[in-house]
Amino acid sequence: MTTTAAESTDQAESALLDQHKQFLSETQPAADILALNESAIQRFEVLKFPYRKHEMYTFVNTKDITAAPYVFSYGASVAEDFIKKHVYPGCEKSVLVLVDGVYRENLSDISGTSVRLMPIVEALSQADIKSYLESTVANENDVFACINSAFLNHGLMIDVPEKTQSESPLQILHVSTGSPAGKVTTLPRVLVRLGVMAELKLIVKYAGVQGNYFVNSVLDVLVGEDAGVAFTQIQQDNGDAWHCSKNRIVLDRNSRFHASNASYGNKLTRHHYEVHLKETGAELWLNGVSVLTDEEQVHNFVRIHHAAPHCVSNQQFKNIVDDHSRSSIDGTVIVNEGAQLTVSDQLINNLMLSDNAHADNKPNLMIFADDVKCTHGATIGQINEDQLFYLKTRGLSTKIAKELLTKSFADSLIQTIAFPAVVEDLENTLLKKLES
Amino acid sequence: MTAKENTVSDVLEDKKYKYGFKTLIESDTFAKGLNEDVIRAISHKKKEPEFMLKFRLKAYEKWLTMKEPRWPNVHYPPIDYQNLSYYSAPKPKKKLESLDEVDPEILRTFEKLGIPLDEQKKLANVAVDAVFDSVSVATTHKKKLMEVGIIFCPISEAIQEYPELVEEYMGSVVPVGDNFYSALNSAVFTDGSFVYIPPDTISPMELSTYFRINTEETGQFERTLIICADNSYVSYLEGCTAPQFDTNQLHAAVVELVTHENAEFKYSTVQNWYAGDPETGKGGVYNFVTKRGKCVGNNSKISWTQVETGSAITWKYPSCILQGDNTVGEFYSVALTNGHMQADTGTKMIHLGKNTKSSIISKGISAANSSNSYRGQVKVSKNATNARNYSQCDSMLVGDKCSAHTFPYIESANSSVQIEHEASTSKISEEQLFYFEQRGISRENAIAAVINGFCKEVFKQLPMEFAVEAQKLLTLKLENSVG
Repeated sequence: MTTTAAESTDQAESALLDQHKQFLSETQPAADILALNESAIQRFEVLKFPYRKHEMYTFVNTKDITAAPYVFSYGASVAEDFIKKHVYPGCEKSVLVLVDGVYRENLSDISGTSVRLMPIVEALSQADIKSYLESTVANENDVFACINSAFLNHGLMIDVPEKTQSESPLQILHVSTGSPAGKVTTLPRVLVRLGVMAELKLIVKYAGVQGNYFVNSVLDVLVGEDAGVAFTQIQQDNGDAWHCSKNRIVLDRNSRFHASNASYGNKLTRHHYEVHLKETGAELWLNGVSVLTDEEQVHNFVRIHHAAPHCVSNQQFKNIVDDHSRSSIDGTVIVNEGAQLTVSDQLINNLMLSDNAHADNKPNLMIFADDVKCTHGATIGQINEDQLFYLKTRGLSTKIAKELLTKSFADSLIQTIAFPAVVEDLENTLLKKLES
Repeated sequence: MTAKENTVSDVLEDKKYKYGFKTLIESDTFAKGLNEDVIRAISHKKKEPEFMLKFRLKAYEKWLTMKEPRWPNVHYPPIDYQNLSYYSAPKPKKKLESLDEVDPEILRTFEKLGIPLDEQKKLANVAVDAVFDSVSVATTHKKKLMEVGIIFCPISEAIQEYPELVEEYMGSVVPVGDNFYSALNSAVFTDGSFVYIPPDTISPMELSTYFRINTEETGQFERTLIICADNSYVSYLEGCTAPQFDTNQLHAAVVELVTHENAEFKYSTVQNWYAGDPETGKGGVYNFVTKRGKCVGNNSKISWTQVETGSAITWKYPSCILQGDNTVGEFYSVALTNGHMQADTGTKMIHLGKNTKSSIISKGISAANSSNSYRGQVKVSKNATNARNYSQCDSMLVGDKCSAHTFPYIESANSSVQIEHEASTSKISEEQLFYFEQRGISRENAIAAVINGFCKEVFKQLPMEFAVEAQKLLTLKLENSVG
C-alpha cells in the first residue's frame, strides 16, 4: 500500500519528535539551552513540515528535506588543502571554519581581527542574548530554522566590540563533509553581534567536500546603533546537496546592512532573509544573483519588516535559469503602522535561457502607513535580440555574443560586492557556468 | 471651517449610502438552510431539465468536501451557511406584456437607481436585463437584439429554451469544484444573465444588467454565462447597488465567458454595494465572486474593467485563460476602500496559447480604516511561446490607519516570454495639492482631480455611460464635509 503525502509528513514529524527526545537524553543540555531546544521543538509541532501549496513554500518542493529522522553529522576530518582552496585572499588571518556546523579552532585563524568568540551555549548566560534567542524561537515561522534551534548545541557567537573595525574581511567558511553512505544533515548556527559604531566586513561561504548532505543553517546578525556590516554570502555547495539558510538581521538606530548573495545552486537551495529595521534610520541593501543550469534550484524567501520611520530598504535580484533549473523569489516588504517616510525598492530580473526552466516571482508589499514610497518591479525575459545583433555586427559569433550578454547580466550585480577577491572568484567560477 | 483645515481623509470620508432603501414587495422565500432537498426544490421551482439538477447536485457534493478559503487578506466572522435562505423571488406573476404590468414599487426602485428601463429610454440604446433579487423581471430591447440573432435573457429562461448551449458551456470555464464559493453558486444559483452572440455579429448596442440584493439575509447567487461565437463583438455592462442592512449579506456570483475565433468581449463593472457602517464596519455586503473568461478561439480577446467602490468585503479575481493562439487578455481595475472595507482583488492571466498577450492595470485607493490588496497571477505555460505580459499595480494611501498590499504571483516556464511587473505605493503628494490650492482650487476638488487622474487609465476603458457613472461614484465617495 502506498502512503499518501499527508501520511508521510505525519510520519516524518513523529520521527523527528522521537529523534529530539533521544537528542536531549544523549546531550544532556544545560538548563538555558535545554529551554531553547524544548521551546523550538514545541514551535515545530505548531509549524509542522510544509504541506503542498503551503503559502511560504509556493514554489519549493521540500519533499527531499523533510524526510526525518535526520542523520546528523558533526564533523569529519577535512583536508587542509580543501580549506585553503576556499579561503579568499586577504582572509588568511581572519577565517573561521565550521565543519558540519562545529567550530574547528585548528583550521581557523582570527589573529587578524578584533572579534571575540564564544559558544552560544555560554553566551546564553547574557540576559540580552538569552531573551533575543527565546523571542526568535517563539516567533519562528520557518520550520527548518526551528529544527536548527531544536537541535542547537554547537552554535558559535561572534562579538564585534564597539567602535572597532578591521581592515581585512572576516570569512566564515561552512564546510559540509557529506557522506557517500547516506544523506547527512548539518546544523550550522552562528550569531554575530556588533557593538555601537562597530564595522564588520563579513563573508560567509558554504562549500562541500562531497555530496549527499543537507545543510540547514541559521545566521543571526544583531547590528548595534550606528554600526555597519558589509556582507556577502556565497552558496557553493556540492551539486548533490540540499541547502537551507536563514539569515535573521536586526538593525538598530542608524545602522547599515549591505548584503550580497551569490548562489551556484544545487538540488535545492532556499535562502530565507528575515530583516527587522527596528529603529529609525536603519538601512538595508540586499542583492542576490544566481546562475543555474541542469536541474539546479535556488529559491529566495525575503521578509523585510519596516518597524520604524525613516528606514530604507533596497533589494535587487538577478537570476539566470537554463536547462531544467528553477528559481523563485518570494519577497515581501512589510511597512508597519507608524513607519512613516519609509523608502523601499525591490527589483527582480530573470533571464530565461530554456523552455524547460522555471522562473517564479512573488514580490509583495504590505503597507500600513501612508507617507511612504514603496515600489517593486519584476521582469522575465531573454537575451535582447537588438543587443545580440549589435554584437554580431561587430564580428562576434552568436555563441560569444550570447555569453557576453548573459555574463554581463549577472556581472552587474556581482560587481557591487565589496570584496575584490570574491568578485574575481565569482567571475571565474560562477559565470563560467554560462560558457557552453 | 475652511477648506484648508480638512485633512485628506476627511474629504474622502464616506457619504451616507445613497441607495440605502428597501423595496417592500412580497417575496417567495425558502426556509433557511441548505441540503439536497433545497437544491432539488430550486431546480424544481425553475422547471429545470435533468442535466441542470445533476450539475447542481454534483456541485453540492463537491462543496461539502471543500473548505472556505482562508488565504485572502480579509477578516470576517465565520459565515453560517445553514442560516441563509437560498431562494428568494418576487411572487410569480403572469407573463408581462409591457412595463406597465411590472410592480410599480419595483419600477420606482429602478428609477431611483437611474436604470433606463422604460420605453422612452430605449433612446439611450441600452438593453437592460434587470435582475431583482434572483428573478429577472423585465427585458428591453430584446426584440432588436433578436433581429441580429443575439440571445440576451435570464439564465433560467436560457436553461428552458437553449438547453444545449447551456449544457455545453456551463461549467466549462469555472468547473463546479473550482473553489468554495463557485461550488456553492453552482449548487444553488437562482438566476442571472445569458448572452449568446452568433457568428459574424457585432452587437448593435451595449448590453447591461443591474443587480440588486433585496430580501434581507438572502444570499444572492447570480450566474452569468456569455458566449461569443466566431468574429463577434459585444460590450457588457454590469452595475450593482444594494439596500442598507445591518446583517451581512453574502453574494457569491459566478460569471463565465467564452470567446471563439476572432471574437472580442468587453466586460465592465461598476460596483457600489453597501459597505457597512463607516464608523463601526457593521453590516455591508460580502462579495465573493468568481469571474473568468476563456479565449478558446485564436485571435480572440477578453477585456475586464472594474470599478469597485462598495461591499464590506470584496474577494474577486476576474481572470483570463488565454487558450487560443494570439489571444489577448486585459484587466483594468480601480478599487476604492473606505471606512472598514476590505478588498482582496486582482486577476489571473493564464497563458496557454502561442503569442498571447495580457495587460493588467490596477489602481487601489485605501482610506480611513480600510484594507486594500491586489492579488494577481501571471502564469505562462511551457507551450506559450512569445507570451507577453505587462502589469502595473499602483496603490494610494489616504490616512495612516489604512493599509495597501500587493501580492503578485509571476510564474514562467517558457524562455521566449516577456513579463514586466511594476508596482508602487504612495500617498497623494502634498506638493500636487499645494499646487492646486495655490491656483484657487479647493482641497476637495484637488483631491478629486488627483484621484481621477490616478484612475484615468482605467476610466478611459469604460464605455461612455459607465465612465460618467464611475467618475460620479468616485466623486460621490470623495465629496463630503468641506464647509
